[in-house]
Amino acid sequence: MELRVIEKTDDELRMEIAGEDHTFMNVLKGALLETAGVAAATYDMNPEQSGGQTEPILSVKTEGDVDPLDAVGDAAGRVRELTDDFRTAFESAA
Amino acid sequence: MASDFEVEFIERDDRNARFVVRGLTPAFANGIRRAMIADVPTMSIDTVRFVENSSVMFDEMIGLRLGLVPLTTPLDDYETGETATLALDVEGPATAYSGDLRSSDDLVQPADENIPIIELKEGQRLELEADAVLDRGREHAKHQGGVAVGYRHLQRVDVVGDAGEFDEQESNILRGVIETEDDELVLTDEFDNDLTERYPGKEVEVHDVPGAFVFHVETDGSVTAEELVLRAADSIGDRAAELEEKVAV
Repeated sequence: MELRVIEKTDDELRMEIAGEDHTFMNVLKGALLETAGVAAATYDMNPEQSGGQTEPILSVKTEGDVDPLDAVGDAAGRVRELTDDFRTAFESAA
Repeated sequence: MASDFEVEFIERDDRNARFVVRGLTPAFANGIRRAMIADVPTMSIDTVRFVENSSVMFDEMIGLRLGLVPLTTPLDDYETGETATLALDVEGPATAYSGDLRSSDDLVQPADENIPIIELKEGQRLELEADAVLDRGREHAKHQGGVAVGYRHLQRVDVVGDAGEFDEQESNILRGVIETEDDELVLTDEFDNDLTERYPGKEVEVHDVPGAFVFHVETDGSVTAEELVLRAADSIGDRAAELEEKVAV
């Protein structure tokens, strides 16, 4: 996973997350949309053959005083907690 | 995002599992499904050195067949890219089976012993040495641990009344798992996938249960179904942890 910030202001962020695909990006986007202070979040990914930008680009827009990079960090932390919870629940049922 | 997950098994054995998870978002359910297919690595033969191949097939074709043989994978002992060596020596007339592969590691063995590789006639011989490598399904389908992985919404069936006495009962086909009014989880196979078999003469309503997904996981034997699910969740969790760390810097 290689990060490259393309554009960053106080309330907007565009960042390339190289090496990831829909598997992780969609989970992350879902978590971002449920993070406090996030007004909009999406990602864009092009197919391999398109010849242009094929690595996913995450776009986040925040409201209030939330820094978009912090929001991404929060969302990633949330995903990690979710997978840990899932593991615990799955193991106790198994 | 609700994080109180509830997991309940309906079917479970080594290679096959069916379970209901409650409290999932569609994004998370799909992330786990995709991770099971493409991101949990398995061992698979990748390089073959032929000592003798007097069979009717080219080396490359036999190499492909060997690659498709599922191998049991001790995921704690191997890192992606690490290899184990296997050897095969069969002389005709006989059929070379996956079970004839001899492995340098007791934990890396053919998951099935009865996969034919090639039939050898009198005087034909196949002797080779092969390296199995740990990699992910994203690189090549032979590294896919999960061969049939999917989920459906859990459906709840409520009896709302009697069907009209002279109405013709039309079959009402459902597949997967239903939740009954008594909160029981029932596999639709048990009533031939037809609700009129289970509730004859009744009128029923079917609704999706929000946030509840019925997963069906079948593996090729390289890892157990249970391990596949846990490793898939870990693979997403690890990436989230990595991102969290990199963003903080």
